[in-house]
Amino acid sequence: MDTFPATLLQVAITAPVLIGLILIAGRSLPRSFASGFAFTGFALPALIAPWLLVLWINDATSPLQFRTDGPWGFGFALNGLGAPLLAMTSLIGLAAGIKALTQDVEARNTYLGLILFMLGGTLGVFATDHLIGFYFFHEFALIPTFILTLFWGGEGRRTAAMQMAIYLTAGAMASLAGILIALDAANLSFANATFVNVADSLGTAKNIPAATGALVLFGLGTLASLFPFHSWAAPGYSAAPTPVSMLHAGALKKFGIYGIILLGLSSLNISQGTLGSWFLWLAIGNVFIVGLICLTQRDLKQLLSWSSVAHMGPIFLGIWICGASGKAAGLDAAVFLMVAHGLSCAALFLLANAVRQRAGTYRLDELGGLASRAPVLAAFFIAATMASIGLPGFGNFWGEIGVFLALRAQPLWIQAIVASTVIISAIYALRAVAATFFGPTSAPLTARLETAPFGDINWIERIAASILLGASLTIGFMPSLITKSTNPVSTGVANFSQRTTTAPAAKPAAPAQSLPSAR
Amino acid sequence: MAHYLHWILFLPLVAAAFSTLFLRRQGAIAAWFSTATAFTIAGLALKVLLTGGDVTWHIELAKFGDISLGFGYLLDANARLMLFVVSFVAAWIHLFSVGYMQDDEARGRFFAGLSIFMFSILGIVVADNLLMTFIFWELVGFSSYMLIAHYFDKDYAAAASRKAFITNRVGDLGFILGIAMCLSLYGTLNFSELAQLKPVSGFPVILGALLMCGFLGKSAQFPLHVWLTDAMAGPTPVSALIHAATMVAAGVYFMARVHFMLAADVLNLMAISGAGMAALAGLCALAQTDIKKSLAYSTLAHLGIMGCALGLGRPDLAVLHMAMHAFFKATLFLGAGSVIHGCHHEQDMLKMGGLLKKMPLTAATFIAATLSNCAVPFFAGWYSKDAIIEAAYEHNFAIFAFLAIAALATCLYSGRMIRLVFLGEANSEAAAHAHESPWTLTLPIVVLGLVYSIAGGFLAHSLIPASALGVVAKPLEEMAFHLNAPATIVGLLALLLGFGGALKFYGLTRGKDALQVISPRTYHLLEHRWMDGLYRWYIDSIQQRAAEFIAFLDLLLINGVAVRWIAGGVPAVLGYFTGRSLHRGQTRGYALWIVLGTLFLAWFLIAR
Repeated sequence: MDTFPATLLQVAITAPVLIGLILIAGRSLPRSFASGFAFTGFALPALIAPWLLVLWINDATSPLQFRTDGPWGFGFALNGLGAPLLAMTSLIGLAAGIKALTQDVEARNTYLGLILFMLGGTLGVFATDHLIGFYFFHEFALIPTFILTLFWGGEGRRTAAMQMAIYLTAGAMASLAGILIALDAANLSFANATFVNVADSLGTAKNIPAATGALVLFGLGTLASLFPFHSWAAPGYSAAPTPVSMLHAGALKKFGIYGIILLGLSSLNISQGTLGSWFLWLAIGNVFIVGLICLTQRDLKQLLSWSSVAHMGPIFLGIWICGASGKAAGLDAAVFLMVAHGLSCAALFLLANAVRQRAGTYRLDELGGLASRAPVLAAFFIAATMASIGLPGFGNFWGEIGVFLALRAQPLWIQAIVASTVIISAIYALRAVAATFFGPTSAPLTARLETAPFGDINWIERIAASILLGASLTIGFMPSLITKSTNPVSTGVANFSQRTTTAPAAKPAAPAQSLPSAR
Repeated sequence: MAHYLHWILFLPLVAAAFSTLFLRRQGAIAAWFSTATAFTIAGLALKVLLTGGDVTWHIELAKFGDISLGFGYLLDANARLMLFVVSFVAAWIHLFSVGYMQDDEARGRFFAGLSIFMFSILGIVVADNLLMTFIFWELVGFSSYMLIAHYFDKDYAAAASRKAFITNRVGDLGFILGIAMCLSLYGTLNFSELAQLKPVSGFPVILGALLMCGFLGKSAQFPLHVWLTDAMAGPTPVSALIHAATMVAAGVYFMARVHFMLAADVLNLMAISGAGMAALAGLCALAQTDIKKSLAYSTLAHLGIMGCALGLGRPDLAVLHMAMHAFFKATLFLGAGSVIHGCHHEQDMLKMGGLLKKMPLTAATFIAATLSNCAVPFFAGWYSKDAIIEAAYEHNFAIFAFLAIAALATCLYSGRMIRLVFLGEANSEAAAHAHESPWTLTLPIVVLGLVYSIAGGFLAHSLIPASALGVVAKPLEEMAFHLNAPATIVGLLALLLGFGGALKFYGLTRGKDALQVISPRTYHLLEHRWMDGLYRWYIDSIQQRAAEFIAFLDLLLINGVAVRWIAGGVPAVLGYFTGRSLHRGQTRGYALWIVLGTLFLAWFLIAR
């Protein structure tokens, strides 16, 4: 296999980490040097990862590509599901990096270094096929997130960071237990503990405890704010500094789901039996209950945070239907939505911060009439909002419609509850747009215009937002950029996920087949 | 042929993107640029109409699992006619907008919005499958949202835009479910493939009902009609193009396209509710003083008539009426725009009057279009409306009765409008100093009005070869003037009583509405928006309260009791073993967890 792309993949992941190390070690590096270094760290992955995705879809024959041996014993390799997520993360990283570079913060070099760590870790998660590697990189990305929120966050950062730490640690512990049990049952050595091998071996494993699937689903589900393990998410995103919110809600959260797909869905039958019905109901909770909670929000950033929890619902449902009835369409759509939501959600956090910089507040009742002052900001914000509520042309549409279509054989009322998201999300999103931008200029804003006059968004903010929205439009107009990459793998995963229900007839001799693994 | 369609479809998208990116501050250039593309498209559409011939073309956009989602064209007689009507009306409305929006600072945004709308509506016309229809359906909703919110610094415009978008999405919820059900039952979303299926027991009722939901939203049919009158908050050309001529007609067009999939029960429902709405909306138009809102109710009434025609099993008549309605209603709205422009942005009809002499060109075209609206024989509206009433008479007497009321109501509000706006004396300063509008405003009205409202029917025969008209050729040929036909009798009676009566009745009071003076109760009954009140009550008292309650439960049960208790409990138990070190600091506590985890991992790896 071509080794040049493999080297590039390695560069894309190690560059942010190494540059982050340099910045943290060199706390007194001059500002311009530090900015240059940091920008390189943010830009390199964004140059490499989308290109790797294009290379990937042009030759989507083998399940893994660009394989190399990583420095810590687990190699890097891209699979068809990870490639689009890697590209998405790299673009969010670049936009978040641009935002971070414009911020004036204390201990700037450390701040930038930690964000680079977050980025490197997240990229690592999507570029490894190794179970322990997955876990390692996920912690590697999460720890800087806590520190960044705790020290550089906004209002309520201490409580939020603590709550987040407790939740995510508990989730991580549960998922680690699940991972280790699965590894043990698969009887694999460390070097061979790849997702594919685990999935292969678990098909014939004898004694896998019933709760393993639950540990993985709920553990990793906590990372991805699966209802009712979501309470940390909204305060956590709200309190974090904007680049961290962008990366966390946009990209980091997705690796919990990625883990659920590669381990839970492929190997642990999370969509079947009792656990499966729990999964379904909790995912519906994300769509409907959290959707209703969004309706009550009165703070722009809180609303974005909650809505990013609600938008996880369709993703979970896509995964659920893939495991429950072997419909690869559900998984294709879920990954599509993960990518698209990452882009739109990061753009919204970025633009909401631009609102706050101008208006000095996130409170919807104090905002109003901003569009006459900042028409370009309004246009960007409306575009990002439309993306997030699934307007065709943006990527989110394909993800949502794909999930709906994958659920087509379900009872009509389940479909109706799920599809009600198109109404609920439109209500709260457009309400926020109107409260922020439309109507006459609000009294607090008029007062602020006298004390701190402001203009439209500047070029740097426009570039950062354009990267994200441009990417969303690109996959909106050319959805095959994602589906060509994911389709072969999701078909494989869908087949894997159906083994316990179909295999007993084929291989009655293997006792493990009849063992319900997660009931 | 497919390459013509590529141009027709993507030219407006390119125009919109170009205007948005580069012409935001060059409003005048954006206006002419957009208008030029609109006329180019109209020319191409005429070429397509005259050439005839069906087009099918399809590519796959993406594959989700084994579902292939594609993009393609299906151009049949229906589509050719719609393509021409939409692009022709739109081109003239673009020209009208150049004059009407001359002083608007945000012209760049406005014309970009019009172009995006063109892209969306043309996409619906040529779509060859349900999903593509849905895609452009949503885009139409979006462009309507943006254009209604053009005067976004006014609260009512902001509220109206949101209401339009969300009400449309309520309908779209059903539409999506219908698409999913169609895919589930038949494995395809392609119109031609579905048309060949002919399932043994027919298409299920529920499928038709779900697809109809999309139509209810987009075509503002009862009970989702509430957004259309508020949508008049947008600039007048937008009301003419989107909320009278094309977007609302898209629902009718779509229903005609999937007509074969609608079960008999669904059709009956559509016929009854359409006819009922036609009668009711026509009467409600009597209780509006805003000229645009009154016209909006008139649009609702005509949409009801189209829905009724669909329900009667005559999609050809529905499409014919849609085409005729597009011409005369666009003329009426543009005429209203010209009146508003002439009266210095006065929209209250009670403050107008005597404009016949001051704005003769506008008045002449407006009155011509009104006569078409009232279905005076040989005017465009008559050809289609008369045929629909005729069809109703053969089908069901109740529907016929409703349509008769609708015909009477149409004549009443039309007569009232003419009386209040153009006859009598000026009732305000603005009306007294009114002036005729410049050519960019009057030329489109004259073309659309005089040429098409008056002689639409005749001209359709001579101007456009019958083969090109295809779908409407049959109803046009069948059309004949029988003095003893029930529809004709009803029509003439309505004209005599309604139009004449209204002219007389509304001359009784000056500067006030005669009905309001004579019977305030009746006026209030018609003016009050019952469904809006019901929805407001649902949103405030049920939806919002339920949401608050659930948010409260979430805070109390999930965040408060369950999590705090467990989060407090687990460290307490662990703390018992670890000397309570977890309680000292959050960060340190977390670090301890990590260390524990790492040790656990190390142990696991070494022990193997």
